[in-house]
This record gives sequence, C-alpha cells and structure tokens, in this order.
Amino acid sequence: MNILVFTKRVPATQEEELRLLGDGNSVDLSKLPFKVNDWDNYSVEEAVRIVEKTGGAVTAISIGDAESDEVLRRAIAMGAKDGFLVDAGKVLHDPNARATVALNFLKKEGIAFDAIFTGVQSEDDQFASVGGILAGKLGLPYSTMVIGIDAFEPDHIIARRELEGGLQERIKVKVPCVLSIQSGINEPRYVSIMGVRKASKVERKVFKAAVYEEGVPSRIEVVKWVYPEKKGGAVMLAGELESVCKDLLGILKEKGVYQ
Amino acid sequence: MLEQMSTRVLACMQCGKCTGSCPESGKTPFNIRMLVRKKQFAAAIAEELPWYCTSCGACTLRCPRDVKPSEVIIELRSALVEDGLMPLALQKALENTAVQKNPWGKSRGKRGVWADKLDIEIPHVSDTESKRLLFTCCIQAYDPRCMVIPSNVARILNKGGLEFGILGEEEGCCGNEIRRIGEAGLNEELQEENKAIMEEYGVKEIIALSPHCMNAFKKEYGDLGIKVTHYTEIVADMIREGTLTVQAPFEKKVIYHDPCFLGKQNGIFEAPREILRAIDGLTLMEFARSRETSLCCEGGGGRMFFEVETTYERNAEVRVNEAVEKGAEVIATACPFCVMTLEDPATEKGITVKELSEILVEVI
Amino acid sequence: MSYALIVAEVRRGVFEERNLDAIGLCSLLDKESCLLIPEGAYDINDKLVNVVAKVDAEEMVFLNPLNMVSILDKVIEKRGKPDVIIFTHSSSGTECASYMAGRFDLPVITDVSGFDKEGGFFMKSYYSDKIFGQFRQAGDGTYVITVRSGSFKEFVVEKSVSAAVETISGITISEERNFIEYVEEETTEVDITKADFLLSVGRGIGNKDEIEDFMELADMLKAVLSGSRPVIDKMWLPKARQVGTSGKTVKPKVYLAMGISGAFQHIAGMKDSDCIIAVNKDPEAPIFQYAHFGVIADAMKLRDKMKVVLKG
Repeated sequence: MNILVFTKRVPATQEEELRLLGDGNSVDLSKLPFKVNDWDNYSVEEAVRIVEKTGGAVTAISIGDAESDEVLRRAIAMGAKDGFLVDAGKVLHDPNARATVALNFLKKEGIAFDAIFTGVQSEDDQFASVGGILAGKLGLPYSTMVIGIDAFEPDHIIARRELEGGLQERIKVKVPCVLSIQSGINEPRYVSIMGVRKASKVERKVFKAAVYEEGVPSRIEVVKWVYPEKKGGAVMLAGELESVCKDLLGILKEKGVYQ
Repeated sequence: MLEQMSTRVLACMQCGKCTGSCPESGKTPFNIRMLVRKKQFAAAIAEELPWYCTSCGACTLRCPRDVKPSEVIIELRSALVEDGLMPLALQKALENTAVQKNPWGKSRGKRGVWADKLDIEIPHVSDTESKRLLFTCCIQAYDPRCMVIPSNVARILNKGGLEFGILGEEEGCCGNEIRRIGEAGLNEELQEENKAIMEEYGVKEIIALSPHCMNAFKKEYGDLGIKVTHYTEIVADMIREGTLTVQAPFEKKVIYHDPCFLGKQNGIFEAPREILRAIDGLTLMEFARSRETSLCCEGGGGRMFFEVETTYERNAEVRVNEAVEKGAEVIATACPFCVMTLEDPATEKGITVKELSEILVEVI
Repeated sequence: MSYALIVAEVRRGVFEERNLDAIGLCSLLDKESCLLIPEGAYDINDKLVNVVAKVDAEEMVFLNPLNMVSILDKVIEKRGKPDVIIFTHSSSGTECASYMAGRFDLPVITDVSGFDKEGGFFMKSYYSDKIFGQFRQAGDGTYVITVRSGSFKEFVVEKSVSAAVETISGITISEERNFIEYVEEETTEVDITKADFLLSVGRGIGNKDEIEDFMELADMLKAVLSGSRPVIDKMWLPKARQVGTSGKTVKPKVYLAMGISGAFQHIAGMKDSDCIIAVNKDPEAPIFQYAHFGVIADAMKLRDKMKVVLKG
C-alpha cells in the first residue's frame, strides 16, 4: 500500500488570546509557536502503522510555507519515506483552493497512491472539508471521521467511522480512496528531537505551489475577522439551594445533556 | 564483550546502598540495584520500571563505586524515549515543552504575566546595570499556586535593595526535568536557546527560584561564566549583612523540608535554615530525616507530570504525617515541586505548606 | 426556481434535532425550503418547511456521500439548482457537504454559527471559537453550508400549511462505499472521554462514603461520574475515571465539578469542556475562574437537595 498523507503546520492557539490586526483584516499570529496539526499527527501514525503491516510506503505532503518542512521531518521521523513540500506563497483559506492545489499537484507530478489520508480537520480553520473536496474532485470514494481501520486489502478497506453519541458505522470502501482520520484512532508515537534530526537527513522535495495554482478559483471570501461575543467570567447562581438546583437543571436541559 | 557504557554499571558490586537510600524502593516495584544489575548483563528491563525514579540523587550520592545509578536511569529512559515508549502524560509534557517551552503547554507569551500583576516594576535583564537575572521556572510562571513565589521573591530582593531583571516571555524551560525524563535532544535545544538569550543580553548572574533550575544552570549548562545561586542564599546574605531586616514576628512552629535539588544534590542546607532562624517567634523544627537524608517528595524526575500506576502511601503523606505528629503548624520548603506535592495531603491534615518566601513576605 | 435544499440527518429512524438549525438558517435566508429526507416514518413537523422531498432509499444509502451525488443529480433534474445546500455540521453532514462541493464544484462554508442579513455573510469559527471569520461566497451560484448545532433553532418558523411532498427516485447506488453495520462502542469500562456529561468530584467531598450518593446523583442525571486526583489516589474511584494531566483529558458538553478546587493539573484536563459548572464552598477556589456557571455551596448539601428536586 502506498499512502499519501497531507500534514499541516498550524499555530498553537489553544492557550492564547488572539488579537486582530487593522480592524479585523487579519489575525496576529506573529508571536505564536507552531506545531503539527493534531489530526494530521494521527493520520501519519495510522498510515505508518498500515504500511508496517502491508508493505509499501507513506509519503507526507504539506501545502504551506517553507517552515512547513518541520512537519515533514516529523512525519519522516515517524516512519514516512518521503516528504513533499508544496510551497505556497500565501495562506489559502478556501478549502476549495487547497484541495485544487493538491489535486493539480498530484496530477501534474503523476504521484501514484492507493489511499490518501488527511486529518478530519485542521486546528486553525476547522473547515473539515479539504479531504472531501479532494475526493470529490478525484472522483474517489471518501469517508471522514475514520476512527478505526479494521482491514486493509489490496482492493478495499474496512473502516469504522465515528458518528455522534458513541455510535460507529462500519463501512467497506474501495481502494483507491480518500479517508479523513479522526483523532483518537491511535496513540501517535513520540518523536524525539534526535529522531527529527535523523529524519532531516532524508531529502524533502520542494515544489512551488504557484505552478498548481493556475485556475484555482477563490470560491469564498473573508469579509473580516471578529472576536466572539464576550462571555465574561462565571455566572454565579445564588439564592435558596432549591432554586439553585432548579437553575442548574435548566442549564443542563439547555445544554442538551438532561432530557 | 559488553560494550563499556558511559555510566559505570560494570563497576557496581551490588552492595545495595542505592536501593537502601531510594525513596521508591520497598513500596513500588522499583529496585534500582536490580536495574543496574540487569544493565550489567544487558538484560531486558520492564519498560514501566525506569519511570518510578524521582531523580532525587540519593543513590548516586551514596554509591561507594561511583556507579551513578540515577544516571543509569536517565540512560534507560533515553532509550525508551527514542523508541517512543513512555507514559502518555510524559509524552505530552515533552511535546508541550517542544512547542511552548514549558511542560504544561501554557502559552509562552504569558510566561511573564506574573510580573505584570506586581506592585513593583521589574526591568528586563538587558535594562539592568548588574545583568542579574531572576530565573522564574515553568511551574512558578504558570501555576496559580506557585505564581506567588516569584512575586514574593521579587518583592523581597527589591526590599533588600538588589537590582535584578527578568527575561519574561524569552525565558524557556531550563531542561533539568527534560534531561531526567530522557529527552537529551530536547534538553540540548532548550539549553542552547537559553544560553543564546543570556549571551545576547550579557547576563552575569542567575538567581534561580527553583532548585531544579539552579541545578541545571550550575551543573549541566557547561561553563557559562555566570554565577548561579539559589535565592535563599542571596536572602540569607541580605539578612546577615543587614540589608534586609526582619520586622515582624512569625509565631509558629515551622518544620523545614529539604528539597533534594537544593539540599542533598547541591549542599544548600544552611541558607534556608538561617533565614528561618532569623525570624522572631518562629520555632524551627526538623524532620527525623533531614539534610542529606531528607525524604524525597516525589516531585522530581518527571514525576510532577505523570502518575505511576502503583498506589501507595506517598512520601508527601509520610512527611505531612510526621510534621503533624511533631506538632508543627507549618511545613516550610524552598522548591515549587515540594510545595505542590506536600500541599495535597497537608490540606487534608489541616497543616499549612509555605514556600520560604511566603513566610518572609509576612515578616519584612 | 429559487430554493434552499436542506439535507436531513436521520439516524436509526430518528430525525436528528440539529436539523432544526438547518431549517432555522433557511428562515433567516428567506428561502423556500425543501427538506431532503429518505423514505421512512420520521417524526417531523411538516409545517416547518415548504417542501419535503422523499428519496426512495434507505437511510444508510441516503447518508453516503457517493450516493448523495446521484440524489443531488436527481433533485436538480426535478427541481432545478438550489441556491444553497444546507447540511448539519456533523459526521455525515460534513462528509457529504465537502464531497458535494468537490463533485459539483461548489463553494463551501462549514461550521456556520451565525448569519448577518445586512452584510450577507456567515459567521464561521476559527481557532476553536477564539476568532470568527465573516465569510461569503465569491460570485454567484449554488453554495454549500454546514450549520453548527444549536445555532439557528430559534429562528424556525411554523407555517400555516403543511409541506408539499415530492418524491425523488431512480437514484444510482454506489458500489464503491457500502454500509456494513452500526457498531456500539464497547462499554466494558467507562470511558470518561466519550461522555457528554460528566459529574466530577474532588477532595471537597470529604470521604469515601459520599461516593455512593454522588454515583446515585450521576445516575439520576444520566451523567458519568469522574474524579480529580486525590479521589483516585485514595481509591474512592478507579483510575479510569480520573480527569487531569495524570488522568484523562475530557471535553464533555457539560462538566459539573463538585468539591473540586481546580488544581492546575486538573484544569488542564477539563478546561476545554463546552460548559463548566463548578460547585465549591470556597468562593476563592480557582475553578471558578474557568467555570461558565458557579455555585458557592457545600457539594454534599447541593447534591442532596438536587436529589430531592429530581425526585419531586
């Protein structure tokens, strides 16, 4: 099996209060550290585990700036054979644009594969769409929220996809296909700094995205960025214990966890 | 032929002094003598075992053949880390440190926030005459319980008329725990980054707030040409020289717990005691095991970031019980990890844990 | 004909509640609404939409993006191109939405949680809700949306007449992806990371004997009981139920913390929960800094009162 895995370098925003610049024209990411997109980490791990069993190779692909080489080295340290950087000059917010660049890249470079893995979504834009759009454009079968791969045969995959409320759906998908991998499908291995240093010795090919951007339409546009409505501290429930209890039950109902 | 290792396992004569002094032996499956034995024969070692070590250093200090068993543990861990075989919580701590330069993955940009809330202004170290750096430490920069410690120490040093500065968000993890977890590569990166920043600003002196950071700068950063001290040494000097005067009494029975990295590993036993003795009304008490034989709180060697599987009476509980039996009202210590581990059982037993600076700010 | 196509999410015979958000957005957009749904006895208020288009297919066939291509072909053949296709932002909703965008070459905006009528743009979450982008399609034509659950339900308007019913038939079923079976996650050991509602207890509950009563409250609320480190350390609850850096990291819809002061290590394991409710008798407890709702009360007293209220 030859598996292509798309992996993305994203800002680590979980602990940050983000700032907007120039009346919401952009989000200030200048001081943030970057990391591999969590879902992509699971995807790489899953792909590596599969080829360890079936043979073949994992190729990691990142569409992003030159710094994205970092996530390729990481993927190689985890067991990918190759890393391809599709060096894009600008941030592509539109998942259609990202998927089209990916499509053009695969076609133009004639890259063969049995399966393409992406993460379910990326931590920054949370579009959860690039995998599906790419599959649609390639005319290949697709599934997202893949939480288990039970069998990987030359002509098909048996996968489990996560639905809501603890339910899963087992499906049979023809190969070649595109699968978007859900976090929690495995426990991604630790990649030590030494490991990454060793991986750096494997050459990563760099492709200029401009070549594949031809005819990439921007199908959606950002008017501007805004802050979410302020929540402001904990709302303290006071009064008689009984009325507090009733208020609490009201909240539980509103949140949909109690009848 | 067995390959000669960098640690001296082949010199071990299996006397068992290491196991005898180990805070984990007897109550957990961890037996340091046995691990050294197995290493001698390159025999397989169960992968969960090396993670019990708290890096207290007692074994290495007591070993008559200079085998350095605690370093053997780091070697064992390193091999596991390279293979990705470690407790998940430690893996997260390492990944967090790689991204945010602290094991909790808190925002690096907020590392200096404690200083913003302070009533005195602390300059950036580059703006100081002395180029004297107060090194905060990860846990004291972020943990709400420990954040008061740098604030206190800053006030105390300020009161004593000492000039110092901080690095704010440019400070990163010292690497002391990271090395002990076995991530040599990451430790190297952290060291390089900290060295570069200190060189850039011409830092001449480091006052460490945590004994763990102090240990790293003193012993593991190579020759920095920078004087490294623990803040208690500076404060003890100030009191002795009269630049800092204790004005109010502290009418409590205080028992002092020696942190491993301050005490047994770096020989600083007197400075904290000297400070406590200088306070009127304070009755200084001692644990049965103190100074070189002080019982480790089990917060070191990565144990701050994960829990071992075995459940047993924790050393912190043993410590707290002894303090209560002796009639102490306050357990004083000088290490944030000790504060964190001791406070858990202490709250339950109704006894207070105070970092030294917390007593000091009440009396100066 | 100008209309919005709402692709219903149905699962094991149930018309999912979050479909109402898609219908609500449709009202905001002022479009004639056509609800696309598989044939079957689903419990729907048929006055909420203008048209119900029933697809001659089982739900497992319907909720398959490959078959959705053929279904959409038939819908367009019959009714013309919709202005907008709305899916729920769920496992199957995002799957079909993105696949349709790829196959039919349509713009897509996902996880939409707001609509500004004046500006004609949609609000879309970025960076886990820390920032929102105001998005709109560039150009004209059909576009695809997925709506966030709970965002538009309030805009649903009941009409005076029942929906007209249409039938979509003759769809092609793909051989490239097939449904095999539903799998319930094994429930041998509780997995607190999977629970929607956690009732978590801490040192503040005092002693082991209290656990049973909390367990009872959890059962009454249909919550899963978890605990902070001291509770696990003392073996009042099994290790698998520990929340925190040394236990599990959880993100339930509601995290109800009782008698937990909020040690750093604990907070790290639960702070991303959708809604955090903290009950603690210490008003200074750090957990209140992270909570959305707080009650300053003794955990045991509140628990007992809660039981009385629930029983009565």
